[in-house]
Amino acid sequence: MSDVVVIGLGPAGLSAALKLVESGRSVLLAAKGEGGFQLSQGTVDVLGYSPGRVANPLAAIGELPAGHPYASIGAEKVRDAVAWLRDTLGEELLVGDPAQNYVLPTAVGAMRPTALAQPSMVAAHQAASYAVVGVRQLKDFPAELLAGNLGCRAAWIDLPARREVDSSGHMFARAIEDPAYAKRFAAAVAAAAPDGAVLLLPAILGVKPGTWRRVADQVGRPIAEVPMQPPSVPGIRLHDALLAKFKAAGGRVIIGSRVVGCKTNGGRVASVTLAVAGGTRDLRATDFVFAPGGFASGAITVDSRGKISEPLFGLPLTQTDANTLIGPDYWAPHPLFEVGVETDAAGRAKYENLYLAGDIIAGAERWREKSGEGIAVATAVRAAESIMGGRA
Amino acid sequence: MSARSEQSKQLRERLNNELKRVSLDHCVKCTLCEQYCPVYPVTEMFTGPKFVGPQAERYRDGDSVDHSVDYCSSCGTCTVVCPQGVKVAEINSLARAVMKVENGMPIRDRLITETTLMGKMMTPVAPIANAVLGNSLARVVMEKVVGVDKKAPMPTARSKTLHGWLRSRPKPTNKPTRGPVVFFHGCAGGYFEVDAAMKSIEVLEHIGFQVLVPKQGCCGLAHQSNGLFDRATDQVRALVAQLRSAGTDLTIVSSAGSCGGMLRHEAHEILGLDDPELLDVGTRTRDISEFLMELYDAGDLPTDFKRIDLRVPYHQPCQVRSQGIGMPAADLLRLIPGIEVVESGSICCGIAGTYGLKKEKYEIAQAVGKGLFDMVEATNQGVVACDTETCRWQIEKSTGVRTVHPVVLVHQAYGLS
Repeated sequence: MSDVVVIGLGPAGLSAALKLVESGRSVLLAAKGEGGFQLSQGTVDVLGYSPGRVANPLAAIGELPAGHPYASIGAEKVRDAVAWLRDTLGEELLVGDPAQNYVLPTAVGAMRPTALAQPSMVAAHQAASYAVVGVRQLKDFPAELLAGNLGCRAAWIDLPARREVDSSGHMFARAIEDPAYAKRFAAAVAAAAPDGAVLLLPAILGVKPGTWRRVADQVGRPIAEVPMQPPSVPGIRLHDALLAKFKAAGGRVIIGSRVVGCKTNGGRVASVTLAVAGGTRDLRATDFVFAPGGFASGAITVDSRGKISEPLFGLPLTQTDANTLIGPDYWAPHPLFEVGVETDAAGRAKYENLYLAGDIIAGAERWREKSGEGIAVATAVRAAESIMGGRA
Repeated sequence: MSARSEQSKQLRERLNNELKRVSLDHCVKCTLCEQYCPVYPVTEMFTGPKFVGPQAERYRDGDSVDHSVDYCSSCGTCTVVCPQGVKVAEINSLARAVMKVENGMPIRDRLITETTLMGKMMTPVAPIANAVLGNSLARVVMEKVVGVDKKAPMPTARSKTLHGWLRSRPKPTNKPTRGPVVFFHGCAGGYFEVDAAMKSIEVLEHIGFQVLVPKQGCCGLAHQSNGLFDRATDQVRALVAQLRSAGTDLTIVSSAGSCGGMLRHEAHEILGLDDPELLDVGTRTRDISEFLMELYDAGDLPTDFKRIDLRVPYHQPCQVRSQGIGMPAADLLRLIPGIEVVESGSICCGIAGTYGLKKEKYEIAQAVGKGLFDMVEATNQGVVACDTETCRWQIEKSTGVRTVHPVVLVHQAYGLS
């Protein structure tokens, strides 16, 4: 028996679990696989577009319609939650101000607003000019495309992470943890780099926070890491740090088993049913945080007839028929992605001890408005504080 | 049609129907499996679980051409970490079985998997067997002739088997207060890791259980990991019957970390066995730490532990993690006053059953385990805890630090040793 069972290992589940365990609760975190922060850019978006580009997310939150996940939380609580995450992880992992977006280049050279970023990235914000260096053996980083879209020059270095013509970013990040390799890497970058105020490099500068500084010092010029597709090294840094903090505070984790059902008692969830090897176990707790993700993780499903459902708890959804919710224009908004569960002011749905956090909550097309991590953290902190009875 | 091609056809059908169709298309290429794979980062011979699994599988319609799948160590981590439910490890195990059926099998892989046979042959001549395995010339011959690396860890033969001890020991004096459980010790627990098995029985008896120990053979996991599915199937079926002979509604408590996983899910999911008897045994099987923690969570575990002032590195074997039960051994050891558990944070020690014994894989296995060995050396105070036999041999051989089953410390904390 735990005080709280948290389902989900993305930014929402990890934030809620950490907040609760730090308040002295016994917390069991269960996840069917490894978590979503590692697939992210390693930044914290709060609100990037609404619908035009947003400079101050907190000011823009006040203008959001009722039904948006932020609307019932309010700008101040969002600020507190995001600042809590930043301060908990520390300035070697996250810097910035929820009231002021950075605008940072993506790996294809688009400019992306985000509220918190890693210190290795932020030199790219409002830089006077750029230069790009790619690595021949890292084909996931298209240096020339990036430079072309930014109107600057690109150069390549030829330095395999190991005996391989194409390695993942994670393999490079592991190699850079070796000081001898990092030194060769920095020397090659310094020799090849074109002119430009800030040198953009693929986000592979070490698995651990702070390793990037060694490379930066050796390159001897301002540099900025540009996040890439998974395996996302900056995302891995945030995930690893949050999970380590949770475990160090006494949290228990089960990864690799799926929650397949629940037992209820009147208006309360009594236990959730975990499918482990060979059978099921009932995980009992006083409170439950449900942070399973949304469509992408399969927590909300659409069947072949277009029926939308939340299969685990059977939670009521804002819409149940997908057929009218996807428009013909790929780039236009699709209301389907706003479908989810509505919660009460405490973050609960259907049961009095079931608190929701993250993508499962209705009312935002997160990838379009760039609000995913902010909603995750704000709703996770709300869930944790509701469970703690409002005591921080 | 020859027996071999018939067998290959059957395995291919399973690969296509059970795994590919229902699982492979769920892969979204997020690469988390590559990120957590212990083998992929240390050798270019293995191109990673995603590449040899959900990607290469689409091209395996004809001959088995991609031999890199044989460099998978079968640790199962890819399936554990996959957030989309893709059975990556199962796909790769089956693909390897097809390849081995079609391309033939090294004699070495048939020999090193015969763990019960090894135990039976070595016990009566334990001092001689240990002397031979400790002799470097004999090990060079062994490497040349059968391909077992001369530096790889080998079990130490014991002069007395577990069942020999059970027959000769004084009967337990305290009356059972909680009814019977069946004890599953695995073949290593019966012949080589007898101490862990004896202490498991004594701990269970100490807290009030009557412990039934039916005669039991090998679970077949080593054969399965080497693609020898027929032999593995025969063995696990025989073991299921033996365990059921002790009672069909009793909890089965296992001190053999990986072998418990074979009974609980691998024989079903990788060998494809749907026997109701196997499923029954799998449902009733608990890892001993998991069993004790379930008692603890229910308020039924005596916690009158003696203080043990010890910082102990704990390594959870990959095949215990893949059972999806969290980390009960670490939770259990933390109940003992004075013990500070340092989790290894390593995915795998490298040995992965028989993988690290093979001469072409020995260096890979040592590279996989390096982070763990460094961590053990930095944190140990004379003892390491780990749930699975071959992992203990690997850690002990590679670090020189005594490596025990967690239950050994529980035994000590109960004042039994």
